[in-house]
Amino acid sequence: MHSNRLGWLLLAPTLLVLGLFGVVPFFYVVWVSFHQWNPFAANPDMIFNGAENFRRLVFDEAFLASLGATVSFVFFAVISELVLGYMLAQAFMKDFPGKGFFRTIHTLPLIMAPIIVGSVWKLMTTPSIGIIPNLLDSWFGFDLNIGQSAAAAFIVTVVMDVWHWTPLVTLSLIAALVSLPQDPFEQAQIDGAGKRQIFWHVTLPMIAPAVLATVFIRLMDALRTVDEVLMLTGGGPGAATRYVGVHIFKEVFPRTNYGYGSAISVIVLYLTIVVCWLLYVGMLAPRNTGKG
Amino acid sequence: MNHKLDDIDTPIDVLEDNAPPPSGSRGFLPIETNAFDRCFISVVIWIALSLFWFRFMEPAGLSIWISNVIAMAIAAIVIAKG
Repeated sequence: MHSNRLGWLLLAPTLLVLGLFGVVPFFYVVWVSFHQWNPFAANPDMIFNGAENFRRLVFDEAFLASLGATVSFVFFAVISELVLGYMLAQAFMKDFPGKGFFRTIHTLPLIMAPIIVGSVWKLMTTPSIGIIPNLLDSWFGFDLNIGQSAAAAFIVTVVMDVWHWTPLVTLSLIAALVSLPQDPFEQAQIDGAGKRQIFWHVTLPMIAPAVLATVFIRLMDALRTVDEVLMLTGGGPGAATRYVGVHIFKEVFPRTNYGYGSAISVIVLYLTIVVCWLLYVGMLAPRNTGKG
Repeated sequence: MNHKLDDIDTPIDVLEDNAPPPSGSRGFLPIETNAFDRCFISVVIWIALSLFWFRFMEPAGLSIWISNVIAMAIAAIVIAKG
């Protein structure tokens, strides 16, 4: 009983901070999402309008388009980061000259603020002065203009996200790979297993929890990407890179439509939770079924 | 060659030794759930059904309250037997 009370006492500061900065704002956003509220309008009061904001958003073509673009962005970005991150993690498991230096260099993007990443990539991809369009033009004769080509803008946002966040995946997977016991690998090799079999049947199941946690973090992060993309493309050209975070930003700040923006935020949070939960269940259910 | 690999066909479960004893129950849902999980699943279904109803059923003249009643019924089944 005493230890139980001590446990709650030790948890209290964390719970208090979490409640104040996590739970209370969440319920406030849910509350606002059921209102029409433009604090800068002639009538700045919150007007309760039931589920009208949610009714509106299922017909909002701009929102649905931004959701589609976000799904594509998240899919390509997270998959690329995972594959590249795993390959880099495996490379860092081996010894080679300059390993420490390269390992430090490769984590540098992680310490950059997203708004800086966005501005750096904007400078690098601006057609007249950017290094990337110049190199692409001189090497391949390819004209990269993210202000005109929707596909190019989309690809550049994905590449920027991959550049920024792959080191996080690499570090997580290095930690997972380093902690693996050697016995199963030796046993598999003695049994004649090839590299591919060892990867699918030994390595992957053993690092699955780390992979799952990394995918969750990246998935949640990628779904709410705003500042990098806003800085790089501003959501354009047209609405090509107007991902859902950018859409919410434009709905809430320039248009000061707080109620509708909150409704979109709630639905995006709902989708994020559902996707993560389905992923979790998808990886957990076969494990439990296997146990019988 | 491949018959030698029979013993590694089943993926190694690194969590098996440390896994806590199962605290949930098993109903018609494909996973082991506790009361909180079943409430969560009910809310997820309720929101999904409401959005679906707003988009496709309400324009046909069917009130959102019908969706709410269906969601409540599904929630009752999931919580009781999930």
